[in-house]
Amino acid sequence: MADTSETLDEFVLERVFAAPLETVWRAWTEPELLARWYKPNPMCETAVLQHDLRPGGVLRYEMRFGPGQSHYERWEFDAIEPPSRLQWRQTLTDADDNLVGNPRMPDWPRWMLTTIELEPHADGTLQRLRWKPHEPTEAELTCFQNASAHLDRGWVAGFDSLGEFLKKHADAE
Amino acid sequence: MELVGYRSPEASLDAVFAALADPTRRAILGRLVEGEASVGELAAPFTMSQPAVSKHLKVLEQAGLVERSVDGARRPARLRPEPLAAANTWLENYRELWEARFGQLDTLLRDMVRLEQGKKDDDG
Repeated sequence: MADTSETLDEFVLERVFAAPLETVWRAWTEPELLARWYKPNPMCETAVLQHDLRPGGVLRYEMRFGPGQSHYERWEFDAIEPPSRLQWRQTLTDADDNLVGNPRMPDWPRWMLTTIELEPHADGTLQRLRWKPHEPTEAELTCFQNASAHLDRGWVAGFDSLGEFLKKHADAE
Repeated sequence: MELVGYRSPEASLDAVFAALADPTRRAILGRLVEGEASVGELAAPFTMSQPAVSKHLKVLEQAGLVERSVDGARRPARLRPEPLAAANTWLENYRELWEARFGQLDTLLRDMVRLEQGKKDDDG
């Protein structure tokens, strides 16, 4: 069962895996293993285009959703502390490794700082993911905070009928 | 399969989030969830002038959250559900994406553990 918390600054997701810490570390740091799970669904094909696991090193990654439909990610590693901590900055690119924005949300932070922390746990390994904007512009930070703020209970509480309203309109479509 | 942030082109959500960040605008939306309303009807619960309400409505209109009927003098404002639904689920989509990845990580790890166990048993 995943525990999540969203503040206005950082997204945190914790999960326990029934595997030793070193095995989880391998799954994050060996490119053949990473490509087997780092995708939105099992059907998606993936390819690691570049992998240089050292501070300042780059990972380039392709996810194929269909013919001519690929998305690309670029990671730049900041910290590699085996077997328990990995930190990198990630962004979306096109096939030529140019940065691309999010078409749906132009002010969504261009770079996200991602940290994985692994700890021993009675049931195996506790993994903590931290995910936050990296050196955001003011607009990017505001965008991220606004997206996080709507999850705050105060916001949602003022919209008791919102769930009903959205459901009614979704059904009507 | 839609990946978060790669939906078919629609209005930008930046303006939606900016519009939602203001408590008065959230209150206006809360009232519009119950049904359409004129500027006068929206201003009534607040100690706010109608021009002030109109300013807020303009922001909401530009964000695509509200549409104003052009008929008659009343020009009631009506809530548009699509951007609100999208904004509501924006960050949740990212959480679901991470959880989907970790679900697959879980499957891989179980296979790896089984393999490692198998090797140990062979050596033992």
